[in-house]
Amino acid sequence: MGRRERDLFLELLPLYPRTPAAHRKLSKSSILPDAEAAQKLLDDALAEQRDQNRQLLEQLMLDLARFQVQPTGLKLVLSEADTEWLLQVLNDIRVGSWVLLGSPEDPHTVEQLTEETVPNLWAMEMSGYFQMHLLKALTGD
Amino acid sequence: MAETVTPDLLPAVAPTQEQQDKPESDLEPGFLVICWNDPVNFMDYVTHVFQVVFGWPKKKAEFHMLQVHEQGKSVLARESMEKAEHYVHQLQKYHLHATMERDD
Repeated sequence: MGRRERDLFLELLPLYPRTPAAHRKLSKSSILPDAEAAQKLLDDALAEQRDQNRQLLEQLMLDLARFQVQPTGLKLVLSEADTEWLLQVLNDIRVGSWVLLGSPEDPHTVEQLTEETVPNLWAMEMSGYFQMHLLKALTGD
Repeated sequence: MAETVTPDLLPAVAPTQEQQDKPESDLEPGFLVICWNDPVNFMDYVTHVFQVVFGWPKKKAEFHMLQVHEQGKSVLARESMEKAEHYVHQLQKYHLHATMERDD
């Protein structure tokens, strides 16, 4: 990536977490045995994961040596495990931004560009951009 | 590489003697792990998550991803409640719209 891309990346990441905590339900039907306890278990697991990802993110953002200078630009050095949690982080920002935009059926059609919607649209698109780069790096496609 | 991901480790749950003695209809009902379509997750991302969470080869993951995309949902697994819960937790950590439903 270029230096400008790195700056955008580092500007994007502090938006995590962006998806509302109560966004997801364990079941649509709610006829699970002990459904309330099961939902609480999911909420707790997601909260724990959020805290863990936040800590990892703080470490990543302080560790600028991970951006290695190459003849073609900067190379972000990540282990496979790092890549997985970073994908989760980026998708949290993407989904959360989409939710803040009102969950439009077509994410590319935001009705009004306003001071309120533009940052969400920017965050949704940029997180998607970096997500695709990470996936490409993982699969080598 | 996504192609060489390790499937999640799940606790091996051996049936108890009491469970073995019961007719099948009395055993714990199955639970379906379902992934629902949403307009925000990328197709490549969904494929990747299926590969990581279930340890599936890319082709199978793509099949289910396309089913989600074209039919609105895909049943990814039928499991015990404990395992279904585990899978839904994993999928939701990636922010996929996944739920578990009782298979009646």
